[in-house]
Amino acid sequence: MSGEDDNPRNQSRAELDELQLRIDATRGKHQQPAGKPPSSAWALGMRYGSEFFGGVLVGGVLGYVLDVFAGISPFGLIIGTMLGFAAGTLNVVRAAREISSESDGDKA
Amino acid sequence: MADTNPIKQFEVHEVFPFEAFGLNLAFTNSSYFMMLTTGLTIVLFAVAMSSRALVPNRAQSVAEIIYGFVADMVRSTAGQEGLRFFPFVFTLFIFILVANMLGMFPYFPAPGAHSFTITSHLIVTVALAMLVWLTVIVYGVFKNGAKFLKIFVPSGVPIFILPFVTLIEIISFVSRPISHSVRLFANMLAGHILLKVFAGFIVMLAAGSASMGMGELPGYLAGVFPFAMTLGLTALEFLVAFLQAYVFAILTCIYLNDALHPGH
Repeated sequence: MSGEDDNPRNQSRAELDELQLRIDATRGKHQQPAGKPPSSAWALGMRYGSEFFGGVLVGGVLGYVLDVFAGISPFGLIIGTMLGFAAGTLNVVRAAREISSESDGDKA
Repeated sequence: MADTNPIKQFEVHEVFPFEAFGLNLAFTNSSYFMMLTTGLTIVLFAVAMSSRALVPNRAQSVAEIIYGFVADMVRSTAGQEGLRFFPFVFTLFIFILVANMLGMFPYFPAPGAHSFTITSHLIVTVALAMLVWLTVIVYGVFKNGAKFLKIFVPSGVPIFILPFVTLIEIISFVSRPISHSVRLFANMLAGHILLKVFAGFIVMLAAGSASMGMGELPGYLAGVFPFAMTLGLTALEFLVAFLQAYVFAILTCIYLNDALHPGH
Protein backbone atom coordinates (compact mmCIF):
# COMPACT_ATOMS: atom_id res chain seq x y z
CA MET A 1 0.00 0.00 0.00
CA SER A 2 2.71 2.41 1.03
CA GLY A 3 4.80 1.15 -1.89
CA GLU A 4 2.15 2.28 -4.31
CA ASP A 5 2.03 5.80 -2.92
CA ASP A 6 5.79 6.12 -2.93
CA ASN A 7 5.97 5.34 -6.63
CA PRO A 8 6.36 8.74 -8.30
CA ARG A 9 4.58 7.49 -11.40
CA ASN A 10 1.45 6.59 -9.48
CA GLN A 11 1.63 9.82 -7.54
CA SER A 12 1.66 11.94 -10.67
CA ARG A 13 -1.13 9.74 -12.00
CA ALA A 14 -3.22 10.54 -8.93
CA GLU A 15 -2.46 14.22 -9.32
CA LEU A 16 -3.57 14.06 -12.94
CA ASP A 17 -6.83 12.38 -11.94
CA GLU A 18 -7.45 15.06 -9.38
CA LEU A 19 -6.75 17.74 -11.96
CA GLN A 20 -9.18 16.07 -14.35
CA LEU A 21 -11.84 16.11 -11.64
CA ARG A 22 -11.25 19.80 -11.05
CA ILE A 23 -11.44 20.49 -14.80
CA ASP A 24 -14.68 18.57 -15.10
CA ALA A 25 -16.18 20.41 -12.14
CA THR A 26 -15.22 23.79 -13.59
CA ARG A 27 -16.42 22.87 -17.02
CA GLY A 28 -19.75 21.69 -15.66
CA LYS A 29 -20.14 24.94 -13.76
CA HIS A 30 -19.36 27.05 -16.79
CA GLN A 31 -21.37 25.15 -19.34
CA GLN A 32 -24.64 25.33 -17.47
CA PRO A 33 -25.49 28.94 -18.31
CA ALA A 34 -23.99 28.78 -21.79
CA GLY A 35 -26.24 27.95 -24.72
CA LYS A 36 -29.21 29.89 -23.39
CA PRO A 37 -29.58 33.16 -25.24
CA PRO A 38 -32.16 35.68 -24.11
CA SER A 39 -35.53 34.83 -25.59
CA SER A 40 -37.82 37.70 -26.48
CA ALA A 41 -41.56 37.66 -25.93
CA TRP A 42 -41.98 38.33 -29.65
CA ALA A 43 -40.09 35.15 -30.53
CA LEU A 44 -42.11 33.19 -27.99
CA GLY A 45 -45.42 34.40 -29.37
CA MET A 46 -44.29 33.68 -32.92
CA ARG A 47 -43.35 30.17 -31.85
CA TYR A 48 -46.75 29.39 -30.33
CA GLY A 49 -48.56 31.03 -33.22
CA SER A 50 -46.78 29.08 -35.92
CA GLU A 51 -47.11 25.80 -34.02
CA PHE A 52 -50.88 26.24 -33.78
CA PHE A 53 -51.24 27.53 -37.33
CA GLY A 54 -49.28 24.58 -38.71
CA GLY A 55 -51.49 22.03 -36.97
CA VAL A 56 -54.76 23.58 -38.18
CA LEU A 57 -53.47 24.04 -41.72
CA VAL A 58 -52.23 20.47 -42.07
CA GLY A 59 -55.42 19.03 -40.55
CA GLY A 60 -57.60 21.08 -42.88
CA VAL A 61 -55.58 20.27 -45.98
CA LEU A 62 -55.47 16.54 -45.21
CA GLY A 63 -59.24 16.57 -44.68
CA TYR A 64 -59.77 18.44 -47.92
CA VAL A 65 -57.57 16.02 -49.87
CA LEU A 66 -59.59 13.16 -48.39
CA ASP A 67 -62.76 14.94 -49.55
CA VAL A 68 -61.50 15.23 -53.10
CA PHE A 69 -60.29 11.66 -53.40
CA ALA A 70 -62.96 9.83 -51.40
CA GLY A 71 -65.84 12.08 -52.45
CA ILE A 72 -67.19 12.56 -48.93
CA SER A 73 -67.29 16.35 -49.07
CA PRO A 74 -67.62 18.23 -46.74
CA PHE A 75 -67.06 15.80 -43.86
CA GLY A 76 -63.34 15.31 -44.47
CA LEU A 77 -62.72 19.04 -44.23
CA ILE A 78 -64.83 19.39 -41.09
CA ILE A 79 -63.28 16.47 -39.24
CA GLY A 80 -59.79 17.24 -40.54
CA THR A 81 -59.96 20.84 -39.32
CA MET A 82 -61.20 19.70 -35.90
CA LEU A 83 -58.38 17.18 -35.61
CA GLY A 84 -56.05 19.91 -36.85
CA PHE A 85 -57.12 22.18 -33.99
CA ALA A 86 -56.38 19.31 -31.59
CA ALA A 87 -52.96 18.77 -33.19
CA GLY A 88 -52.22 22.50 -33.04
CA THR A 89 -53.10 22.58 -29.35
CA LEU A 90 -50.87 19.56 -28.80
CA ASN A 91 -48.03 21.36 -30.58
CA VAL A 92 -48.50 24.44 -28.40
CA VAL A 93 -48.56 22.35 -25.20
CA ARG A 94 -45.34 20.60 -26.28
CA ALA A 95 -43.67 23.89 -27.12
CA ALA A 96 -44.71 25.34 -23.75
CA ARG A 97 -43.33 22.28 -21.96
CA GLU A 98 -40.00 22.57 -23.80
CA ILE A 99 -39.71 26.27 -23.04
CA SER A 100 -40.59 25.89 -19.36
CA SER A 101 -38.13 23.02 -18.94
CA GLU A 102 -35.49 25.13 -20.70
CA SER A 103 -35.98 28.06 -18.35
CA ASP A 104 -36.05 25.80 -15.29
CA GLY A 105 -32.72 24.42 -16.42
CA ASP A 106 -31.88 21.41 -14.26
CA LYS A 107 -35.48 20.17 -14.10
CA ALA A 108 -35.44 18.89 -17.69
CA MET B 1 -39.59 61.78 -53.01
CA ALA B 2 -37.66 58.65 -52.23
CA ASP B 3 -39.30 55.29 -52.62
CA THR B 4 -41.04 54.33 -49.40
CA ASN B 5 -42.46 51.01 -50.50
CA PRO B 6 -41.65 48.77 -47.52
CA ILE B 7 -41.80 45.48 -49.42
CA LYS B 8 -39.63 46.46 -52.35
CA GLN B 9 -36.65 45.03 -50.44
CA PHE B 10 -38.02 41.51 -50.95
CA GLU B 11 -38.06 41.68 -54.74
CA VAL B 12 -36.09 39.01 -56.52
CA HIS B 13 -34.57 40.23 -59.75
CA GLU B 14 -32.52 38.46 -62.33
CA VAL B 15 -28.86 39.29 -62.68
CA PHE B 16 -27.81 36.82 -65.37
CA PRO B 17 -30.81 35.46 -67.28
CA PHE B 18 -30.38 31.78 -68.01
CA GLU B 19 -32.83 29.23 -69.29
CA ALA B 20 -32.45 25.47 -69.64
CA PHE B 21 -34.99 22.74 -70.43
CA GLY B 22 -37.75 25.35 -70.45
CA LEU B 23 -37.00 26.30 -66.85
CA ASN B 24 -36.00 29.75 -65.73
CA LEU B 25 -32.68 29.16 -63.95
CA ALA B 26 -31.54 32.78 -63.87
CA PHE B 27 -28.92 33.86 -61.39
CA THR B 28 -30.83 36.27 -59.13
CA ASN B 29 -29.94 38.52 -56.23
CA SER B 30 -31.27 35.72 -54.03
CA SER B 31 -28.72 33.30 -55.52
CA TYR B 32 -26.08 35.98 -55.06
CA PHE B 33 -26.80 36.23 -51.34
CA MET B 34 -26.94 32.47 -50.87
CA MET B 35 -23.52 32.06 -52.48
CA LEU B 36 -22.20 35.02 -50.54
CA THR B 37 -23.48 33.51 -47.27
CA THR B 38 -21.78 30.19 -47.97
CA GLY B 39 -18.58 31.76 -49.28
CA LEU B 40 -18.31 34.26 -46.43
CA THR B 41 -18.80 31.51 -43.83
CA ILE B 42 -16.09 29.35 -45.36
CA VAL B 43 -13.63 32.22 -45.74
CA LEU B 44 -14.26 33.63 -42.24
CA PHE B 45 -13.85 30.26 -40.57
CA ALA B 46 -10.78 29.39 -42.64
CA VAL B 47 -9.15 32.69 -41.71
CA ALA B 48 -10.20 32.46 -38.07
CA MET B 49 -8.82 28.94 -37.68
CA SER B 50 -5.72 29.42 -39.85
CA SER B 51 -3.35 29.99 -36.92
CA ARG B 52 -4.61 26.94 -34.97
CA ALA B 53 -3.03 28.32 -31.84
CA LEU B 54 -3.36 26.59 -28.48
CA VAL B 55 -4.10 29.99 -26.98
CA PRO B 56 -6.56 31.43 -29.51
CA ASN B 57 -6.55 34.96 -30.78
CA ARG B 58 -9.79 36.89 -31.02
CA ALA B 59 -11.03 35.52 -34.35
CA GLN B 60 -10.17 31.95 -33.40
CA SER B 61 -11.94 32.21 -30.05
CA VAL B 62 -15.08 33.51 -31.76
CA ALA B 63 -15.03 30.48 -34.06
CA GLU B 64 -14.45 28.19 -31.07
CA ILE B 65 -17.27 29.79 -29.08
CA ILE B 66 -19.70 29.25 -31.96
CA TYR B 67 -18.52 25.65 -32.24
CA GLY B 68 -18.91 25.05 -28.51
CA PHE B 69 -22.28 26.78 -28.46
CA VAL B 70 -23.74 24.54 -31.16
CA ALA B 71 -22.09 21.40 -29.74
CA ASP B 72 -23.61 22.12 -26.31
CA MET B 73 -26.99 22.69 -27.90
CA VAL B 74 -26.87 19.38 -29.78
CA ARG B 75 -25.60 17.47 -26.74
CA SER B 76 -28.18 18.89 -24.33
CA THR B 77 -31.21 18.29 -26.58
CA ALA B 78 -30.33 15.17 -28.62
CA GLY B 79 -27.80 13.54 -26.29
CA GLN B 80 -24.32 12.25 -27.00
CA GLU B 81 -25.64 10.21 -29.93
CA GLY B 82 -26.99 13.36 -31.52
CA LEU B 83 -23.45 14.61 -32.06
CA ARG B 84 -23.29 12.65 -35.31
CA PHE B 85 -25.67 15.31 -36.62
CA PHE B 86 -23.47 18.10 -35.36
CA PRO B 87 -22.14 19.05 -38.84
CA PHE B 88 -25.70 19.23 -40.14
CA VAL B 89 -27.01 21.39 -37.30
CA PHE B 90 -23.92 23.58 -37.36
CA THR B 91 -24.28 24.18 -41.10
CA LEU B 92 -27.95 25.10 -40.75
CA PHE B 93 -27.27 27.40 -37.80
CA ILE B 94 -24.39 29.25 -39.42
CA PHE B 95 -26.12 29.52 -42.79
CA ILE B 96 -29.25 31.07 -41.29
CA LEU B 97 -27.28 33.28 -38.92
CA VAL B 98 -25.02 34.70 -41.63
CA ALA B 99 -27.93 35.08 -44.06
CA ASN B 100 -29.96 36.97 -41.44
CA MET B 101 -27.02 39.19 -40.56
CA LEU B 102 -26.29 39.99 -44.23
CA GLY B 103 -29.91 41.05 -44.51
CA MET B 104 -29.33 43.72 -41.86
CA PHE B 105 -27.19 45.87 -44.16
CA PRO B 106 -29.25 48.75 -45.60
CA TYR B 107 -26.88 49.16 -48.55
CA PHE B 108 -24.70 46.41 -49.84
CA PRO B 109 -22.35 45.72 -52.75
CA ALA B 110 -24.94 43.59 -54.47
CA PRO B 111 -27.20 43.75 -57.52
CA GLY B 112 -29.52 46.70 -56.95
CA ALA B 113 -27.15 48.05 -54.27
CA HIS B 114 -29.50 46.91 -51.50
CA SER B 115 -29.20 43.90 -49.26
CA PHE B 116 -31.57 40.99 -49.45
CA THR B 117 -32.62 38.59 -46.69
CA ILE B 118 -32.91 35.15 -48.24
CA THR B 119 -34.64 33.79 -45.11
CA SER B 120 -37.50 36.27 -45.67
CA HIS B 121 -38.64 34.10 -48.56
CA LEU B 122 -40.88 31.18 -47.67
CA ILE B 123 -39.48 28.90 -50.35
CA VAL B 124 -35.99 29.08 -48.82
CA THR B 125 -37.12 28.34 -45.28
CA VAL B 126 -39.44 25.56 -46.49
CA ALA B 127 -36.53 23.95 -48.31
CA LEU B 128 -34.45 24.04 -45.11
CA ALA B 129 -37.30 22.73 -42.97
CA MET B 130 -38.12 19.93 -45.41
CA LEU B 131 -34.46 18.94 -45.39
CA VAL B 132 -34.63 18.52 -41.60
CA TRP B 133 -37.99 16.75 -41.72
CA LEU B 134 -36.92 14.26 -44.39
CA THR B 135 -33.65 13.64 -42.55
CA VAL B 136 -35.65 12.76 -39.44
CA ILE B 137 -37.86 10.33 -41.38
CA VAL B 138 -35.09 8.68 -43.39
CA TYR B 139 -32.70 8.35 -40.48
CA GLY B 140 -35.47 7.34 -38.06
CA VAL B 141 -36.65 4.52 -40.32
CA PHE B 142 -33.08 3.50 -41.19
CA LYS B 143 -32.02 3.28 -37.55
CA ASN B 144 -35.19 2.04 -35.82
CA GLY B 145 -37.13 0.37 -38.60
CA ALA B 146 -40.80 -0.06 -37.73
CA LYS B 147 -40.10 1.08 -34.17
CA PHE B 148 -39.89 4.61 -35.55
CA LEU B 149 -43.70 4.53 -35.85
CA LYS B 150 -43.82 4.54 -32.04
CA ILE B 151 -43.58 8.31 -32.10
CA PHE B 152 -47.16 8.31 -33.39
CA VAL B 153 -48.45 6.02 -30.65
CA PRO B 154 -47.98 7.50 -27.19
CA SER B 155 -47.86 4.94 -24.40
CA GLY B 156 -50.43 4.79 -21.61
CA VAL B 157 -53.42 5.91 -23.67
CA PRO B 158 -56.73 4.00 -23.29
CA ILE B 159 -57.35 1.80 -26.33
CA PHE B 160 -60.66 3.37 -27.37
CA ILE B 161 -59.21 6.86 -27.90
CA LEU B 162 -55.91 5.58 -29.30
CA PRO B 163 -56.96 5.96 -32.99
CA PHE B 164 -57.83 9.62 -32.42
CA VAL B 165 -54.62 10.33 -30.56
CA THR B 166 -52.59 8.59 -33.26
CA LEU B 167 -54.33 10.64 -35.95
CA ILE B 168 -53.64 13.84 -34.02
CA GLU B 169 -50.01 12.82 -33.56
CA ILE B 170 -49.66 12.22 -37.30
CA ILE B 171 -51.12 15.64 -38.10
CA SER B 172 -48.81 17.15 -35.51
CA PHE B 173 -45.82 15.45 -37.12
CA VAL B 174 -46.78 16.56 -40.63
CA SER B 175 -47.26 20.13 -39.42
CA ARG B 176 -43.66 20.34 -38.16
CA PRO B 177 -41.98 21.57 -41.35
CA ILE B 178 -44.73 24.18 -41.71
CA SER B 179 -44.32 25.71 -38.27
CA HIS B 180 -40.55 25.28 -38.52
CA SER B 181 -40.33 27.26 -41.77
CA VAL B 182 -43.13 29.77 -41.23
CA ARG B 183 -41.63 30.94 -37.95
CA LEU B 184 -38.28 31.88 -39.45
CA PHE B 185 -39.85 33.38 -42.57
CA ALA B 186 -42.50 35.40 -40.71
CA ASN B 187 -40.04 36.77 -38.19
CA MET B 188 -37.63 38.02 -40.82
CA LEU B 189 -40.40 39.35 -43.09
CA ALA B 190 -42.31 41.17 -40.34
CA GLY B 191 -39.21 42.66 -38.76
CA HIS B 192 -37.84 44.01 -42.02
CA ILE B 193 -41.19 45.45 -43.10
CA LEU B 194 -41.58 47.18 -39.73
CA LEU B 195 -38.10 48.64 -40.05
CA LYS B 196 -38.76 50.03 -43.51
CA VAL B 197 -42.20 51.37 -42.57
CA PHE B 198 -40.80 53.46 -39.73
CA ALA B 199 -37.87 54.62 -41.83
CA GLY B 200 -40.33 55.58 -44.57
CA PHE B 201 -42.21 57.86 -42.13
CA ILE B 202 -39.20 60.20 -42.02
CA VAL B 203 -39.33 60.73 -45.78
CA MET B 204 -43.12 61.04 -45.73
CA LEU B 205 -43.00 63.69 -42.97
CA ALA B 206 -40.51 65.76 -44.95
CA ALA B 207 -42.57 65.48 -48.12
CA GLY B 208 -45.74 66.28 -46.18
CA SER B 209 -44.39 69.46 -44.64
CA ALA B 210 -42.98 70.55 -48.00
CA SER B 211 -46.37 70.09 -49.65
CA MET B 212 -47.96 72.32 -46.99
CA GLY B 213 -45.59 75.10 -48.00
CA MET B 214 -43.43 75.01 -44.86
CA GLY B 215 -40.34 73.56 -46.47
CA GLU B 216 -38.82 70.23 -45.57
CA LEU B 217 -37.16 71.27 -42.31
CA PRO B 218 -40.14 70.90 -39.91
CA GLY B 219 -40.78 67.49 -41.37
CA TYR B 220 -37.22 66.38 -40.78
CA LEU B 221 -37.35 67.72 -37.22
CA ALA B 222 -40.48 65.68 -36.54
CA GLY B 223 -38.71 62.78 -38.20
CA VAL B 224 -36.57 62.42 -35.08
CA PHE B 225 -39.32 60.30 -33.52
CA PRO B 226 -39.63 57.66 -36.25
CA PHE B 227 -35.85 57.71 -36.47
CA ALA B 228 -35.56 56.82 -32.78
CA MET B 229 -38.04 54.00 -33.38
CA THR B 230 -36.03 52.75 -36.35
CA LEU B 231 -32.89 52.80 -34.23
CA GLY B 232 -34.52 50.71 -31.51
CA LEU B 233 -36.03 48.30 -34.01
CA THR B 234 -32.66 47.80 -35.67
CA ALA B 235 -31.21 46.63 -32.37
CA LEU B 236 -34.21 44.34 -31.89
CA GLU B 237 -33.77 42.98 -35.41
CA PHE B 238 -30.18 42.00 -34.66
CA LEU B 239 -31.46 40.06 -31.64
CA VAL B 240 -34.18 38.44 -33.76
CA ALA B 241 -31.67 37.55 -36.49
CA PHE B 242 -29.58 35.63 -33.97
CA LEU B 243 -32.51 34.23 -32.01
CA GLN B 244 -34.26 32.80 -35.06
CA ALA B 245 -31.12 31.02 -36.20
CA TYR B 246 -30.85 29.60 -32.68
CA VAL B 247 -34.51 28.58 -32.57
CA PHE B 248 -34.29 26.91 -35.97
CA ALA B 249 -31.21 24.95 -34.90
CA ILE B 250 -32.57 23.89 -31.52
CA LEU B 251 -35.85 22.70 -33.05
CA THR B 252 -33.78 20.72 -35.55
CA CYS B 253 -32.08 19.06 -32.55
CA ILE B 254 -35.42 18.34 -30.88
CA TYR B 255 -36.78 16.76 -34.06
CA LEU B 256 -33.60 14.75 -34.60
CA ASN B 257 -33.95 13.50 -31.03
CA ASP B 258 -37.22 11.85 -32.11
CA ALA B 259 -35.39 10.04 -34.86
CA LEU B 260 -32.69 8.87 -32.44
CA HIS B 261 -34.95 7.91 -29.56
CA PRO B 262 -38.53 7.27 -30.74
CA GLY B 263 -41.17 6.62 -28.12
CA HIS B 264 -40.15 9.30 -25.63
